[in-house]
Amino acid sequence: MALTTTVTRTGGSAVPPSAARRRRRAAETRAGYTFLTPWLIGFFGLTAGPMLASLYLAFTDYNLFAPPELVGFDNFRMLFEDPRFLQSAKVTGTYVLLGTPIKLVAALAVAMLLNNSRRGQGLYRSVFYAPSLIGASVSIAIVWKAMFIDRGVVDRIGQGIGIDWGGWVGDPGKTMPMFILLTVWQFGAPMVIFLAGLKQVPTELYEAAAVDGAGPVRKFFRITLPMLSPVIFFNLLLETIHSFQIFASAFIISDGTGGPAGSTLFYTLYLYMRGFQDFRMGYASAMAWVLVVVVGLLTLLFFRSSRFWVHYSGEAK
Amino acid sequence: MQRRTFTGVGVAAATALVLTACSSGADGPDSGGGGSSSDEEVTLTMTWWGNDDRASRYEEAIDLFEEQHPNITVQPTFQDWDGYWTARSTEAAGRSLPDVMQFDLSYLREYSENGHLLDLSPYVGEQIDLSGFDEALVESGVIDGAQIGIPTSTNTLALFYNPGLLEQTGVEAPAEDYDWQDFNAFVAQVSEAGATAENGEPIHGSADYTSTFWFFLQWLVQQGIQPFEDDGSFGFTEDDMREFLELGADLREAGHFYPIDRQVQLLPLGGFTVNEAAAEFSWDNFLAGYVADSGTEDIQMMPMPTGPDGEKAMFFKPSMLLAAGANTEHPEAAATLIDFLLTEPEVGRIFGTSKGVPADEAQREAMELEEGSIDARVVAYEEEVAEHVTQPVPIPVKGFGSIEAEFKRLGEELNYGTITIDEFVSSWFSEAQLATQ
Repeated sequence: MALTTTVTRTGGSAVPPSAARRRRRAAETRAGYTFLTPWLIGFFGLTAGPMLASLYLAFTDYNLFAPPELVGFDNFRMLFEDPRFLQSAKVTGTYVLLGTPIKLVAALAVAMLLNNSRRGQGLYRSVFYAPSLIGASVSIAIVWKAMFIDRGVVDRIGQGIGIDWGGWVGDPGKTMPMFILLTVWQFGAPMVIFLAGLKQVPTELYEAAAVDGAGPVRKFFRITLPMLSPVIFFNLLLETIHSFQIFASAFIISDGTGGPAGSTLFYTLYLYMRGFQDFRMGYASAMAWVLVVVVGLLTLLFFRSSRFWVHYSGEAK
Repeated sequence: MQRRTFTGVGVAAATALVLTACSSGADGPDSGGGGSSSDEEVTLTMTWWGNDDRASRYEEAIDLFEEQHPNITVQPTFQDWDGYWTARSTEAAGRSLPDVMQFDLSYLREYSENGHLLDLSPYVGEQIDLSGFDEALVESGVIDGAQIGIPTSTNTLALFYNPGLLEQTGVEAPAEDYDWQDFNAFVAQVSEAGATAENGEPIHGSADYTSTFWFFLQWLVQQGIQPFEDDGSFGFTEDDMREFLELGADLREAGHFYPIDRQVQLLPLGGFTVNEAAAEFSWDNFLAGYVADSGTEDIQMMPMPTGPDGEKAMFFKPSMLLAAGANTEHPEAAATLIDFLLTEPEVGRIFGTSKGVPADEAQREAMELEEGSIDARVVAYEEEVAEHVTQPVPIPVKGFGSIEAEFKRLGEELNYGTITIDEFVSSWFSEAQLATQ
């Protein structure tokens, strides 16, 4: 609409139309960038700039107090000889490999339950989504710790059903299940996306399958899963990356130590400890870039593999 | 509620005005004493670590300071210990440290080596009056000839015990001349007694004391070993550390120490503060915190165990140093504030022993020591152990914060049984090499 008014206004002038268009386009470009400025400042000042700086710091010895000193690949070499680094990679790997699939299966299961229309639909959806709203917050980590501590709710439930498993927070063998439960409990975001995906599956497909005598299991594997595959792909990618970033809950529950016995030493927590407790910023920056590369490679792998299992309905195949 | 707040502010403002008028009329009690003579309007930033209790004490002291120095405004902030050093290091990187900071001995070297702290010596005798200080104590804040910090108070180590719990177990507190082996026997006896705390948890003798770096340092000093050389290297060997860790081996094996899995869950509290462990070594200024956290009034203190030559070889640790950022634009005003916090008798009364026993004589005298109060007991303890304090404090090397934390972390793993003593020692030394270089 803005375009038409401008055209009518400039229409009567003596300026050749092409020059006028060019000038107009330049003006629009300027306006566009002007409106983008806040974002651009944020991107270059808060994301790209610091990332580049950390790439440089990864090759230095920097303790915040004295100016950084170039050390080549020393930080990276030390990383792979550092038993705690390997421990943090193991802890995070376990968490991603176990937590993400379980969370997605839970999200899909609940989404399918909620897909049937029944009374109070909206209420159920809100209730199941609620944990994700408050999910990443510090308060939930505190609540979680209180629940799984000695004599906490979980300990009492265990005693009630005759299992004396004690407090999970202090037992290195039980902290990982505790964290996986925490992430699975926050399945709301992928659930909502699954729900939207399920609504998109044409009902004719199910009807046709029913006519052909397919049972619910067969329908699920032959219709629902293939039709949902783009949504599964999206959720899997997002949740995997998200899992790598776990920090706040680990920091709170282990009191910033990664304990007990290194069992909650998540990658980002160890990175933080190296950077801000030991002031070894070069080392921490190297860790950050190793993580960036690993997550980048995984993402690439996901995209490469997607053409073998992701089915886009619009595709002519 | 709101109206009351307003009235409060009004009254405070009026009082401040009146007091300001008074002090300027009488030319101020402080400006005669060589304080900042300029009337330039100055705003100082100041920060400390600690809990709410300390914050309200600081605020009271700062209000008093601002009354006496109407041209200086103090903007205070505070944090807990861990966050405190994270924030300071980032500020140091940006050369924007606060004007005045509460500081700890362990980080002094790191900050001074890179010129982040102001040399206060030009202001000593001018704005800062240290006549009421022990010389050795003032000296502890000097690094490479620069007075970069001045301690507010002193701490020393103590054995805390809970007589109520001991009574339940029927075990006597150790005798005054006990040694480390006697203490081990005491711990084993208490844990074997089989008594239970109010909540049904078994009562243990003590947490594993070999996981705390300062106790290792105390033990080293008793062996006649100075832990740190002036050049930042260590005076102890891997064997020394192994020997110290072996001290607790039998008790760890037998499960007589306070269980680590429970201890981890109680953080930031501990077995002693939840009345499930009968004794614990710690700094003597912890008494107030122990009483508050545990709700047990009757907590007793006694000196550290005796070393091999029959001496306890204890030391006073200068604590809660005050320092100024080298980047301060108002060094004289900062020095004036530091002097006020260090030597103003009223400040001594406000803080009591919550930061340790005040280093300044006038502040010590100004404390209102009620018979049997916590402050009185801490002061009495330091007077009583003075005869055992025969050694200077080991001045922490660069990277001390990291190697201390690493010691604690490895101690936790040792108690979980995930590493051996040999692995502890080799991990610690390789980490320490990185941290102190």
